[in-house]
Amino acid sequence: MIRTLLRVLGPKYAPPVRRTIVLMTVAAVLEGLSYALLVPVLRGLFGDDPGEARPWLFAFGGAIAVYAVVRYLGDLAGFRAGTTLLHGMYHRLGDHLAKLPVGWYTSRRVGEVSVLASQGVLRSMGVIAHLLGPFISASATPLTIVAVILVFNRQLGSAALVAVPVVLLVQAWAGRSMASTDTERAERDHESSARVIEFVKAQPVLRAGGRTAERFTLLDDSLRDVERTARRSVFSALPGAVGLSVTVQAVFTGILVLGAYLALGGSIGAAEVLTILVLAARCADPLLSLAEFGGQIRGAKAELLRLQAVLETEPLPEPARPISPARNDISFEDVRFAHGDRQVMDGVSVAVPEGRRLAVVGPSGSGKSTLLQLLARFYDVDGGAVRVGGVDVRDIGAEALMERFAIVFQDVYLFDGTIEENIRLGRPGASEADLREAASAAGLDEVIARLPGGWDANVGEGGALLSGGERQRVSIARALLKDAPIVLLDEVTSALDPVNEAVVHEGIERLMAGRTVVMVAHRMRTVQRADRVVFLDRQGIREEGTHEELLRLGGRYAEFWAVSAPVG
Amino acid sequence: MRLLLKPYLGGFGAVVVFELVGSIAGLAPLLAVVELGRTLLTPETVDSGHVRFVVIAGAAGLFVKLLLTAAASGVGHLLDTRVQLSFRRRLAEQLGRVPIGWFSHRGTGELAKVVGDDVSAVHPFIAHTPAMLASAFAVPLVSAVYLFTIDWRLTLITLIPVALAIAHVPLMMTPSKVRVQDEFDKGMGSIAGSVVEFVQGIAVVKAFGDTGRAHRRFRTATDDFVTSFYRWVRGMAPIAAGMQLALSPPFVLLVVLIGGAALITGGGMAAVDLLPFLLLGLGLTAPVAALGHGFDDMQAAGRAVGRIREVLAVEPLPEPAKPLAPKGHRVEFRDVRFAYDEGHDVLRGIDLVCEPGTVTAIVGASGSGKSTLVQLLPRFFDPAEGSVSLGGVDLRDLGSRELYRHVSFVFQDVRLLRASVADNIALAVPHADRDRVIAAAKLAEVHDRVLDLPRGYDSVIGEDAGLSGGEAQRVAIARALLADAPVLVLDEATAFADPQTEQAVRHALAGLGGDRTTIVIAHRLETIADADQVVVLDDGVIAERGSPAELLAADGRFAEFWRTHHAVIREELRDLEDELQGDHR
Repeated sequence: MIRTLLRVLGPKYAPPVRRTIVLMTVAAVLEGLSYALLVPVLRGLFGDDPGEARPWLFAFGGAIAVYAVVRYLGDLAGFRAGTTLLHGMYHRLGDHLAKLPVGWYTSRRVGEVSVLASQGVLRSMGVIAHLLGPFISASATPLTIVAVILVFNRQLGSAALVAVPVVLLVQAWAGRSMASTDTERAERDHESSARVIEFVKAQPVLRAGGRTAERFTLLDDSLRDVERTARRSVFSALPGAVGLSVTVQAVFTGILVLGAYLALGGSIGAAEVLTILVLAARCADPLLSLAEFGGQIRGAKAELLRLQAVLETEPLPEPARPISPARNDISFEDVRFAHGDRQVMDGVSVAVPEGRRLAVVGPSGSGKSTLLQLLARFYDVDGGAVRVGGVDVRDIGAEALMERFAIVFQDVYLFDGTIEENIRLGRPGASEADLREAASAAGLDEVIARLPGGWDANVGEGGALLSGGERQRVSIARALLKDAPIVLLDEVTSALDPVNEAVVHEGIERLMAGRTVVMVAHRMRTVQRADRVVFLDRQGIREEGTHEELLRLGGRYAEFWAVSAPVG
Repeated sequence: MRLLLKPYLGGFGAVVVFELVGSIAGLAPLLAVVELGRTLLTPETVDSGHVRFVVIAGAAGLFVKLLLTAAASGVGHLLDTRVQLSFRRRLAEQLGRVPIGWFSHRGTGELAKVVGDDVSAVHPFIAHTPAMLASAFAVPLVSAVYLFTIDWRLTLITLIPVALAIAHVPLMMTPSKVRVQDEFDKGMGSIAGSVVEFVQGIAVVKAFGDTGRAHRRFRTATDDFVTSFYRWVRGMAPIAAGMQLALSPPFVLLVVLIGGAALITGGGMAAVDLLPFLLLGLGLTAPVAALGHGFDDMQAAGRAVGRIREVLAVEPLPEPAKPLAPKGHRVEFRDVRFAYDEGHDVLRGIDLVCEPGTVTAIVGASGSGKSTLVQLLPRFFDPAEGSVSLGGVDLRDLGSRELYRHVSFVFQDVRLLRASVADNIALAVPHADRDRVIAAAKLAEVHDRVLDLPRGYDSVIGEDAGLSGGEAQRVAIARALLADAPVLVLDEATAFADPQTEQAVRHALAGLGGDRTTIVIAHRLETIADADQVVVLDDGVIAERGSPAELLAADGRFAEFWRTHHAVIREELRDLEDELQGDHR
């Protein structure tokens, strides 16, 4: 567990952890050793002159004082180590998440990572601060006590010693049987939480479908599965807990019987046997609590493994010596790319000269957007190459590559901040005048005038307080401000109503002027103005040429055009 | 909440009884040691028969304890799983009834957390509390009474560590400590927020080459959190350490021994009587230790219960006591007003009649209230004033089943469930047979695509097969076609993922016709031109209405919009012609 943690974080975090473990172990051993002093104390008290106990009692007090100090230092070291690790883990995770390719962030991952980064990190780091101390003391103190008993009486000590391997075995066995149900539980919990989200998101549909009165089976089944696995895990945990408790109590009973026998035989003093029994009773509670720690530690470990899995995901490789392309033309050369097991592209080649516009048209699912994503290196190609200015995008370097693109997506994500902040993202150092100009050109003047607070109006998380068209205008302003030589448009106007579309269209025109453009579109209006059109379907590029040429060809593109030709 | 727990009270009772008897029986071995001590330390000759009895009694007590506490823990945990299931079912039921509007204030992730994690967090309440109450309070109480009968002075002395520990509690509750705790909670919240933003906005962040910004926010949030965490820990550590030291076994033993030694040397107590204190005295700290140990969990459970309650307390839209049946399916909005937030009306007095057999096109800028208006029909919200009626009956007097049989809705936001394609299509008509499902899919022109899927209509969406946006949209259309409700509400915004889907939808809708009342949030000029009635919404009021021809003739906003829209297209066509001529030249 600790080893996994240190492997994830790197060796520089090892010293504080080691220090903590050493201090806590020393404290636990000190506790056990101090109990040795009980023997002379009790011998004195139970003997003829109780006064003899006094110096030993002082010694006991002294030992406890030392124990208290060491233990406090250990606790503090634990908290400090925990905090350092927490800090280190957050930074490591943040740095890593920033490096992972955009393609890695599927919607499912977004949810997982959010939970992992907020609660998972804390839970796994909390182990050091909260569980390590009790765990060490629950195992080291009884061991020391067994050693102490062994010193005072070999027979009773041996009896206690028998317990050690048995407890270890039972713990290991219980741990294994629990671990398998733990994984299953985690899966079921995950499943049911996905079902709850689905259920909530589908409420409009479900209600319109009149499906709210009855129990919604998809969700209810998953809730029942959660219950069933929880039930199974109770049954799988019980033998472990009972086994541990049987072992511990049986050994105690054995010592009791043996002690009574030895005392009756007179081979051991009454004071010794009674002290040993007191000490044996003292061992029982911490040993029993081991079962409880086991579960918590396993939980934290599972969390840690998930963190490790994320941290071990390779980011896209960065070039050792980045090359800066001199031009801004684009070419796809025999590009092959598979998404999971689905071959999305198999040998696609197309080129866009600098300052020209390429439109990509095709049915949904044909990989149009993938073309843009490969260009912006959300993924890397599996074969062939994507080049900007003749340089492979993999040799340009992520930051330098992105500087060349202004991208407008179909779904616009805005940060929880003001409109101004969101536009400024395009070029943080832009002047006030540039900012206003970009906003005007994107048709935002009217929106800003209407919103309470104007430029300072907050857009809400993800831009939720603006309508789709308004968000789109902000993202166009952002792209205009960025003033990058290559413009990528991904179905920008497909979700807009006619009023918004007209406005956004003007903004897009301004954005495209004089730049190299790749646009994915199905509104034929925009497509017409491209210098070149490719028609893509699942088999690859079907048709290629100008709008006019493709129409004359009378193929798939012409068919598309026919069903969507504008009226008027 | 109490009602939910009621069926399980018997079970809880059994757990408490098992635990009580078991943990008190657990004292037997300790008492056996005490008796053994008395026998061994009495100067007379030792009665070996008595010793044997004592040892056997101790072992028997231990056995009983084992049996009963294991049973208590098992039963307690099994009860817990059942209670959790009933909580979750109740929550799911509630989520299916709260007004849809309520969801817009709550993240779905947050709700999933209530149903999942928060219900799980109640676990210590259900599974551990009865057992803990029994073992942490009953046992110390019995021990204390027993010890009191042996020597009351030493009993009081034994309680000194407990008193010391309790004295630490107020130190944890000082205002500054509470403030740090709040800071800690807030810090956690802001980490969650910033990580969501960081992760969800990653595409934007990368596209603008400013990975630093969101990353910095996450960093700042985590750094702040770590700082406040550390402050919290530093403030708490000495207090917690003091408390734990006071409760630690060596310290308790030291106190007992010092007190005992004083009493024994003073001649006030027999040496043998010290033994029960050494064995049972440690147990007296259990209640405080248990409180300290389980306190965090309990607090967390308390907060979780609070969140669960909050969800359960939301009032669902009221159902009529005596549901009426609609006569026909004429839709009527009468002076409808509605506001999401107090003081900001989205709809400000809408009067509108949609006759059966007609198509009403609703046009307007984004934010004009179009979506809200049509969402009143399936009762996602109730109007604040005025009424919406179907077939002459106010929607609020219509049973929800009746309402949903009449109104079908094709949403802007297509939601397919992770279930088979057939189930997705038959969502509104669960018992529809396969033939009808297939017929609807054919009408929506998605049948061929479904047959291409690995398991055809039984393919589970999202597992066996991913559908593209356009295909998902067509499944949604098939769903509405199968529901075959006399009132159809359609939002064109994303209804057309690509030209082929658009054509499919148009064909399907044209085929329906008949007596249906159709309301469309229109985005296409074709749709508007074909409508029987066009309604132009502007800032929550109807600015213009009439047939397309009438509105053009009236030369108002609609006419202006129509012309600019056409102008854009005309201009493009002209450009195109120019280019073409250029090519020819």
